[in-house]
Amino acid sequence: MSDLMIVGLMAFLFVLFGVLGVPVPFAVIASVIVGMLFTEISPVTIVAEMFNGINAVPLLAVPFFILVGELMASSNVTERLVGFAQALVGHIRGGLAQVVTVVSMFFAGISGSSSADVAAIGRVMLPPMKREGYNPANSAALVAAASTIANMIPPSIMAIVYGAVGGVSIAALFVGGVVPGVMVGLGLMIYSYFFGFSESVRERAPFAEVVRKAGGSVLPLLIPFMIVGGILGGLFTPTEAGMVAVVYTIVVVIPLLARGHLRNLPRDFMHAGVLYSLPMMAVAGASALAYVIAYLRAPTAVSGLVEGIAGTNATLIMVLIVLALVIAGDFLDAIPTIVIATPVIAGLVELGGIDPVHMGVVAIVTLAFGLITPPYGLALLLATTFAEVPFSRGLVKSLPIYVVFFVVISLLVLFPGLVLWLPGVFDLV
Amino acid sequence: MSASGGTPRQTIVLQKERHLKWRSLDVVERALMWLSGLLLATFTVTVFLDVVTRTTGTPILWLQEVTLGAFVWGVFMGGAAAVRRNEHFLLARIARSLGGGRRLVLETISHVILLAVAIFLAVYGFAFALLGLGLYSQPSGTPLALTTAAIPVSGILIALFTIERLVNGWQGGFESDEDDLYQTYAEEGGAGE
Repeated sequence: MSDLMIVGLMAFLFVLFGVLGVPVPFAVIASVIVGMLFTEISPVTIVAEMFNGINAVPLLAVPFFILVGELMASSNVTERLVGFAQALVGHIRGGLAQVVTVVSMFFAGISGSSSADVAAIGRVMLPPMKREGYNPANSAALVAAASTIANMIPPSIMAIVYGAVGGVSIAALFVGGVVPGVMVGLGLMIYSYFFGFSESVRERAPFAEVVRKAGGSVLPLLIPFMIVGGILGGLFTPTEAGMVAVVYTIVVVIPLLARGHLRNLPRDFMHAGVLYSLPMMAVAGASALAYVIAYLRAPTAVSGLVEGIAGTNATLIMVLIVLALVIAGDFLDAIPTIVIATPVIAGLVELGGIDPVHMGVVAIVTLAFGLITPPYGLALLLATTFAEVPFSRGLVKSLPIYVVFFVVISLLVLFPGLVLWLPGVFDLV
Repeated sequence: MSASGGTPRQTIVLQKERHLKWRSLDVVERALMWLSGLLLATFTVTVFLDVVTRTTGTPILWLQEVTLGAFVWGVFMGGAAAVRRNEHFLLARIARSLGGGRRLVLETISHVILLAVAIFLAVYGFAFALLGLGLYSQPSGTPLALTTAAIPVSGILIALFTIERLVNGWQGGFESDEDDLYQTYAEEGGAGE
């Protein structure tokens, strides 16, 4: 069997096992085991590659940011953020829909995980939206779309994994994700403004109330500034920034804003302990798959294929990568996709002379979009579950929102400055 | 994003899909949950101490080894617990929309594949850990096997939980009232990307 046929077989088996109901990390490993049988790779090497995939210090940031999200949500600090967002933008046409987007941008600066964002914000926002006459399917679609911003605005778990696997500066990916995150946020706000989901209009909050709500939210809202400031100031690495965020949340935020929650800390640690293992198990499996794919020289074959179509035209190469990631993101979880695709992307980045940070951020935004596309639209699945509407109805209501992502991704591909300007300001590129 | 209701002790073991779980293995799930939390707390503290000792000019070099060891064990123990709690990411939920014989066949196939992977991890993870007996982490000089042993242990636990689900599913059917993984996942709080 030829090398490319083995790669094709593994891809087919992964989808087959996944469709049969095998959890994603194990479906990946099972397909790798079958592929391995057609090569001279030993089983112990596969296990070793799984181990090497997660035995990496930069990945430690992932559990820290998941823990911060867990602590914020379970201690109800999220409600303070919602209150502040409501005072800021609740009066704008679209009302609570605008609030969802703004509070998602706030939460994005704290947790870095779309799923945590959906769980925290969906629980707080969906019931009042339903009461005020918003269509639950529309609300679910918006909550899911807004949650993808968590992958763009720092800290971003996708950026951590992309940086760790691809050898790209995580700090640059963090900073480079800010403008795209804000673009998606503004796009969703414009969408909510013109296609407002409810006739319900709120009074503009008095300035004093805005200040009061801001005061109640300032402690959690300091976290993103602490993280990015600390990294850019050279005070700590992204991993250490995650730890600082955890310590700050436990020592300052919770005692001051939700003292009674301290007794629940052990349970938060337990839940976060399991939650971070989910993407990391996927990273372990994907690392083994990436090794086998590299062994079979698939990245070289893909590079040759792309070169045949796009030559060395950077824009065309990026368009092809985006299309491939949109398709992959539809079927595969974003984290394993990053682990598997990054070696291939690295070769193409070199071929087209593309800036790795530019490519990394575009890849992250594209994969974040995959969180609301079928069949593996995890954020949309979670949001429709919370809204108690069928996934298919949420999907239909998501279709117009896809336009926002198409526009943002296209602009990011065509104008690298949108990504690279801010990292350039801080001498990161 | 805690599970709602009940005392903390009751909520540590997930009660969904109860019919697919043996009560005798609840103690294992509870232990894994505590272990996952403790490991996360451990490497939070060691990273904190690493920064503090480095800043004060008295770095403790073995802290990074403890950090990575706790992280790797946390991944594989949490991953095993997630199998019993059925919280891993799924690509599709076709079986959940089926009933009767067709569901039994699909669930059996998927569980057998999962079991095969678990046995692979247990057997070849053990072989990998044995190799680690001859390799030593620096600067502490402890065998690398102390960390890599997490893989076969996880394999054994995943195999055990898969057999538990399979046997109970054959005996009482896989269908449940709360036949929705994402409901469980959402209530517990999501993770990942």
